[in-house]
Amino acid sequence: MKTDQPILLNVESPQRLSAMTASRRLRFKETGLLGVLLVLGLLLSLFCGSLEVPNRDTGGVTTVNKFLRADNLDNLAKNTSFFAIMAVGATFVIITGGIDLSVGSMYCLAAVCGAMFLNYFGPRGPGAGASPFWVVPGAIVICLGTGTLCGLLNGLGVVFLRVHPFVITLGTMAIYRGVAFVMTKAQAYTHFPEQFTDGLIRHQVNWHGANLYPVPLAMMIGVTVLAGWYLKHAVTGRHIFAVGGNEQASLFSGLPVNRIKVKVYAFSGLTAGIAAMIMLGYYGSASSDAGKGYELDVIAAAVVGGASLVGGRGTALGALLGALIIQMINNGIVILNIDQNYSQIIIGAVIVLAVLLDRINSTLRENRMARTTLAAKESRQEVASKH
Amino acid sequence: MKTKPFFKIIALTGLAVTFITGCEQKKNEPASGEAAGPTPKKSEYTFALVAKSQSNPVFQAARVGAEDAAVELSKKLGVKITVLWRTPNEDDAQKQVENIEQLVLQGVDGISVSCSEAETLTPAIDKAVDQGVAVMCFDSDAPASKRFCYHGTDDIECGHIIMRELAAVLGPGKHVVAIPGGNQNARNIQNRIKGAVDEATNYPNISIRGVYYSKEVPQDAAAKIEEVQTANPDIDGWAMIGSWSLFTDALLKWEPGKVKIVAMDALPAELPYLTKGVVQKLYAQQTYRWGVRSVELLADKVILGKKPANVMDYSELPPVTKDDVQQYEQNWKKWLRQ
Repeated sequence: MKTDQPILLNVESPQRLSAMTASRRLRFKETGLLGVLLVLGLLLSLFCGSLEVPNRDTGGVTTVNKFLRADNLDNLAKNTSFFAIMAVGATFVIITGGIDLSVGSMYCLAAVCGAMFLNYFGPRGPGAGASPFWVVPGAIVICLGTGTLCGLLNGLGVVFLRVHPFVITLGTMAIYRGVAFVMTKAQAYTHFPEQFTDGLIRHQVNWHGANLYPVPLAMMIGVTVLAGWYLKHAVTGRHIFAVGGNEQASLFSGLPVNRIKVKVYAFSGLTAGIAAMIMLGYYGSASSDAGKGYELDVIAAAVVGGASLVGGRGTALGALLGALIIQMINNGIVILNIDQNYSQIIIGAVIVLAVLLDRINSTLRENRMARTTLAAKESRQEVASKH
Repeated sequence: MKTKPFFKIIALTGLAVTFITGCEQKKNEPASGEAAGPTPKKSEYTFALVAKSQSNPVFQAARVGAEDAAVELSKKLGVKITVLWRTPNEDDAQKQVENIEQLVLQGVDGISVSCSEAETLTPAIDKAVDQGVAVMCFDSDAPASKRFCYHGTDDIECGHIIMRELAAVLGPGKHVVAIPGGNQNARNIQNRIKGAVDEATNYPNISIRGVYYSKEVPQDAAAKIEEVQTANPDIDGWAMIGSWSLFTDALLKWEPGKVKIVAMDALPAELPYLTKGVVQKLYAQQTYRWGVRSVELLADKVILGKKPANVMDYSELPPVTKDDVQQYEQNWKKWLRQ
């Protein structure tokens, strides 16, 4: 059975143990990805140049780095948030050895349902004037509920129809987008209550003269932390790895495999719903073409983040970092003024490179762990022979 | 089993005669697409509209225009004209080809198509014309095909107009502007960009920072524009030859007048931008007229046997300002049957 948690036997001296723990902290699973991020960030900061922006406080002009600017980083975080949140959900599915091709469509359907509701109670809708105290939570429930329901149907399809998740989610990808299309009659829905857009998701904070929108970033971090904790510390979280590592063994061990699978697909839908809610609030509109092609970006983010498509491996933080790497490349292409026609080649190449670096890092880590285990075994044998 | 040489000769001769007769019959058929005289009258005609994408409201307006024109012309000409709508959900040239092939098999009399990608559609259009179906293009042309005419915006001129107006709005002094692109493969987008870039050469004080492509999806387009503007705060003008980003309200938070915007189309979602002063001027494509003219031109060609006066039947591109917002809101209610 493949799992992410190595069994380590520590029979070293306290000083040595402390040094090992510190070095292990530095060698955690996402070190390779963080390295890639740092290198990318460093390259962008060095080569993007600087620009002069008016300083509202002093009234003068300040020279700033094009990449390392609060509003650019905030924009980068906002653009990453949609994909990162969905990639966290997709990672859960991928850890169980499944795949969810319908994330883009679930995102679209959740957004469209929420948009129709918000448009109805918006300033130009028939329900204008309704209290935002229930309209805003209502919209949130609709987005999250629609996403979760779609994911639940995917999970039930996978479990009860016993069809490969690729096929089920390929089908639902078309069905959910089709439903969104029929519901909207190809119209874009806009004019939402301000309390949902400017008052909540697009809430603006002024920081040293830069207008920042911290809600998408906060939600992305919140989802990642909660999902990361769940995977690592909750019993079901550990079961998810077990199912992905060896489904048959998990079944024979008495794990509720079907229930776990349904849960991960429902969670994937929930994350699509959260991303849809952020998109609705930030852009203030939705139509049936929202999230077109996002499934591949989301799966790419999860895979770059270290999730293994054969199952048993993946982390929530990795998914976030994977999404961030892809968005940083996009951002870099704009900042460095690289011809957009080359963007797909660059993104593809960097994805392959990031995965390769992560693979090298994983191999080195596995070798280190094997050496540590061997050393522990030898040390134990030595102690036993002395006695 | 051995066949006698005599039977072989008879069989081969028969086959040859059948083949030659068949070829002769084909040769004697009038070449389609060259119908100069009046076409034999039928009581029912079917035309089809193949637009780029279902989810773009401009094409929904074209559809309503075509259906309205069909009703009107049916009364006027005393025939029944039916309009079929065969548009892919998303921008997809290959699906458009499949739809055209299917329509030809279905026996439609005429097709009007807005090409997602001219090169992919040209063989399908030619094949349809060869099989006797009248084909025209609207919105986005396939100039190398056998289509009998094009109706829509003069895209190169449109690019010129947008950039000229932006230059006027920006005024004297040094300016940095950007152009948002959409589908890189669409000929109309390529031509508009070409027109805008060419026009900018007339203004030495204006430099173009770049053409920034994105999916023709409102949220993706808005995200790209925000990203570009944040990364390049010195950009003080946008020549929006495509205005997908304005279908969201994300850019409404921009300080009015700080960055000047001149954009294409005057869709319902874009109108608040004019009211608020974030966008200085819109140029409205005659999207409802696309449908109306498609049916009119097809009816002229197929029913009355008339050739169009101009192969390139360009439509107007009227400017829309704050004062016209109310009128356009009313128009859109009609065009989208709301």
